[in-house]
Amino acid sequence: MSTPTRCLCALASMALTLTACVGRLGDSGAAGDDDDPVVTTSGDLQCDPSLVPEALPLRRLSKVQYQNTLHDLVRALLPANEAAVMAVLEPMFETYPDDQPSGPDDHFAAFRRLDQTLHQEHVDAAYAIGGALAAELTSPTNLTTVVGPCASDADAGNDDACLDDLIERVAPLALRRPITPEDVAFYREVAEAPPFEPADYADVVAQLFSAPHFFYMVEHGTDAAELPDVFRLSGYELASRLSYHFWQTMPDAELFAAAESGDLQTPEGYRAQVDRLYADPRTAESIRTFYEEWLHRFDLDELDSRVGTPVFDAFAGDFVPGPDLRERMFAELGDMGLHYSVTTAGTFEDLFTSPLSFAKTDDLAALYGVPVWSGGEPPAFPTDDRVGLLTRAALLATGSANTRPIMKGVFLRKAVLCEAIPPPPANAMANPPELSPDSTTREIVEQLTEQPDTACAGCHTTRINHLGYATENFDALGRHRTVQKLFDPETGAELGDKPVDTVSTPQIELGDMTESTGPADLSRLIFDSGLAHSCFVRVYFRYTFGRAEDVERDGCTLVPLREQLAEGSSLADVLKQIALLDNFQERAFLQ
Amino acid sequence: MRQSQRSRLAPSLSRRQVLRGAGGFALAIPFLSSLEPRGAKAQTAQNDRRFIAFGTHHGAVWGASMFPPNAVANQTANYAGHTVRRGTLPLDVSGGVASICPTLSGDATILTPALAAKLNVIRGLDVSFYIGHHTGGHLGNYARNDANGGDGGTVNQWPRPTIDQVMAWSPSFYSDLSTILMRSMVIGDGRLSYGWSSPQTQSGTIQEIASENSSMALFNNIFVPEEDPEEEKRPPIVDRVLEDYKRLRNSSQRLSSTDRQRLDDHLERLDELERKLKVQVSCGDIEPPLTDSTDEYGSSYSIDPEAQKRFFQLFNDVIVAAMVCGTSRVATINVGETFSSFVGDWHQDIAHQAGSADGAAQAVIAAAHQRFFEDVYLDLVAKLDAIEDGTGGTLLDKTLVQWTQESGSFTHDSISVPVITAGSAGGAITTGQYLDYRNMSRIANQDPASGETTHTGLCYNQYLANVLLAMGLTPDEFEEPGTGGYGVLHHSTETWYGGYDNYNAAVYANLSDWLPFLEA
Repeated sequence: MSTPTRCLCALASMALTLTACVGRLGDSGAAGDDDDPVVTTSGDLQCDPSLVPEALPLRRLSKVQYQNTLHDLVRALLPANEAAVMAVLEPMFETYPDDQPSGPDDHFAAFRRLDQTLHQEHVDAAYAIGGALAAELTSPTNLTTVVGPCASDADAGNDDACLDDLIERVAPLALRRPITPEDVAFYREVAEAPPFEPADYADVVAQLFSAPHFFYMVEHGTDAAELPDVFRLSGYELASRLSYHFWQTMPDAELFAAAESGDLQTPEGYRAQVDRLYADPRTAESIRTFYEEWLHRFDLDELDSRVGTPVFDAFAGDFVPGPDLRERMFAELGDMGLHYSVTTAGTFEDLFTSPLSFAKTDDLAALYGVPVWSGGEPPAFPTDDRVGLLTRAALLATGSANTRPIMKGVFLRKAVLCEAIPPPPANAMANPPELSPDSTTREIVEQLTEQPDTACAGCHTTRINHLGYATENFDALGRHRTVQKLFDPETGAELGDKPVDTVSTPQIELGDMTESTGPADLSRLIFDSGLAHSCFVRVYFRYTFGRAEDVERDGCTLVPLREQLAEGSSLADVLKQIALLDNFQERAFLQ
Repeated sequence: MRQSQRSRLAPSLSRRQVLRGAGGFALAIPFLSSLEPRGAKAQTAQNDRRFIAFGTHHGAVWGASMFPPNAVANQTANYAGHTVRRGTLPLDVSGGVASICPTLSGDATILTPALAAKLNVIRGLDVSFYIGHHTGGHLGNYARNDANGGDGGTVNQWPRPTIDQVMAWSPSFYSDLSTILMRSMVIGDGRLSYGWSSPQTQSGTIQEIASENSSMALFNNIFVPEEDPEEEKRPPIVDRVLEDYKRLRNSSQRLSSTDRQRLDDHLERLDELERKLKVQVSCGDIEPPLTDSTDEYGSSYSIDPEAQKRFFQLFNDVIVAAMVCGTSRVATINVGETFSSFVGDWHQDIAHQAGSADGAAQAVIAAAHQRFFEDVYLDLVAKLDAIEDGTGGTLLDKTLVQWTQESGSFTHDSISVPVITAGSAGGAITTGQYLDYRNMSRIANQDPASGETTHTGLCYNQYLANVLLAMGLTPDEFEEPGTGGYGVLHHSTETWYGGYDNYNAAVYANLSDWLPFLEA
């Protein structure tokens, strides 16, 4: 029997052609009666439509979103003098705290903390910035343009109307919703009674820039959805969700108009806006940020930190890493993601098989041995070993003369496979082996962590090291190699070399003893396992909703996305798709 | 139309001393008493104590380097079922270097006998379970550990605010907030200080307090520029913003319970902003710093102890300025820097090799800790002691400056964590002492390779409670229900290591009481 699932219904109503949500819990006969919600699966993910997803409480604008929103408001209110006003605000943005990624294991997410002190700094800075912006907008130069001639004429009799008009024009933009007569009455109260001075108009505007609807994405919902405590979002709430997700700023006039007309609450109108937003150049920066945050390595030191030390200089040879190389390596990951997600109709598989370089600078291109990419068709790598994300310099470099197979393995296990790695055992420091100057890094790591019958071997042999061994044919700067040069640890004198060994048993799934011969093979095994598909949609979920996923309660968002990836849909379609799912257009209001 | 108001300005202060710090920073310092909040002098019960805490990573300095010789502690008492000891801190001077012990040594013109008499060195304080890697233990949030063992994993579920945040939101500590711009300054690596999301009501969740790594940004937060007394000031509108949030919070529109909690948190923040906008204080003639700590972040920062020294000395200057101006009275600093030029993986190659028989890693560790002591801790302590309070005392006398390390003699092992203090917290504690609380009949760990042996002692929770007592709080404001002291009391279930749960019951009996010899 085939019972349509909730997610299929929702997707079908969006005129999509997905075949997601395959399989049912209970296909073996264990399911309940026909009225039970149908649980569907994709890979290791499961969608139970009876579970209510949690929602992030009163999500605040990120720093980027806050800055972009103020900029758009200035542009809307004072197009002729936008640059001068922003020049005043720019230094003040320095006082607004930078956002810090957080999430599972402190990595691989993109949502921002809001602790007590940080929150206070946001409130303090936003209050000061709002006041400064309001003062600029009502300065003698700008008063007539922003407020109107009524603000600067000698007639106090029109001041009331002048103030009301100001609120009615600015408040819907700042609050990102229609305003009520009660709103007008509330916001004008600060000015007391006419005659009004410019500072009175400034106070009113400053209030709006510190208002809860400005600082947060306030959502109340409209009609009840299928699940208890879950409600569909209003047109204006949807407009904000879409614009902040894809553009990192407030809705534009067309999006507001779609909210006002009701178009945004029709499947066709909503879909049209999703397509429009994704095609807009502003989306590219969001997508780039997603990839860079996903694959960022907090453990990677500055690559020039060891320049001048004997071992590093001997290892680096003619190549001298500069202070910007690390960031350029990370930027390549963003450019690669952008290329396959926006510029071309790339797929998830491309991320694991691409033989193309996205190095835009001389130094990184030199490490790869390719020409600098300056747009158009990217150059191909000179070696077949370098394919996909896993062989990009950003995921190989260490900042020292030695590769770190353990850290590479941990990173892949956590960031690409979304698996938790248990911390080292309590006595991890016991009995360290003697390190040898005539061993390869792999040999040293094997000796250190894979001794039979030790506590270390359990995880290191089965879950960590072998993922890292597969890319040992790239050195600690990400250069291709077939042998590892050995150096005297004190003097840097070259002592010889030994062949690198990239054959490993990575156990992508625990217990799978399939052998990998090297990086290309490992990339293929990871892709074929389907685990990276699940991980990718989990990380994108975090980026979208600003919180860690609950694999059970959020399963009905994750499953269709994963299924779409598995079917080979373009990354662009998958990244757009999240906005078309119920969870994006609804919100739980749990009490 | 709203009426502007004439600015009210605190009286100007006369120049008495000049604190010259790094980065062009200069502070003309009047006698401290003239900087105290207006009205404070008339109210003798005003709390004017300060608390500053440094926490450093790893530790693992062997006892012979970290502490004075056992013979120094020549006075004994029976406490919690075992003999505890004290003695006067020794200070040997040789070749211009003054030494309490090898790690606690420095320039003899700075580490003078008078200054040494204001320090305490405490040995024999234990986190009573296996906490492993942590940053939360320093100040009482044991839940902030890496769950390296079963104990740590269990304790993960019991987060607590750290003691700095307890005092920062205590009316006993901040009995007068009229000059306070920052209740606490949280600096460095982060994950040292934790507090409630709604600290005024002690509700919500326990959250990390974001830390600052820019000394310039911190300076701008604690410094109040001189106002023009003739300037017409616009009344703040924060009261109206507060009303706007209340309007939403109390509306009948649909919100989740966590939305309301966030609005409650926000209302507290606005309340705090409103309070801070009313702060009236003058900091005298400050020449703002010209350089920022973040300027030190060069490529080699992680292996450049000189750059690390400059980084933290810039913060020391700002901390002193805040304490002098009275715009903050609490600072915590999480020091992740190694203070060593060692190139490599400190954690694996040094910390995990701390007990190697050849002593090579231990030498690197001890030297690094000595540098931190002299370059950062002693620097701050000396600067605080250079500021007279007009009554024969100094700012240091009103302060408690502590330095704690992540581990004791063995990496990841929080038995006998070294605790160094300076200042008497306004006369609350006795200083100039080497305090040794170890129970010499109970061995915690004995390492045949290095010969290092540790013994269990008294509970670190009791020390944390003592800090809060010294800062003027009462036990009912902080103590752990059922056990007393500060922080979760967990009895170890680890079986792999004999150091844990190796205590007399009497050790746990009175955790809110003063530790022996410490109370003045």
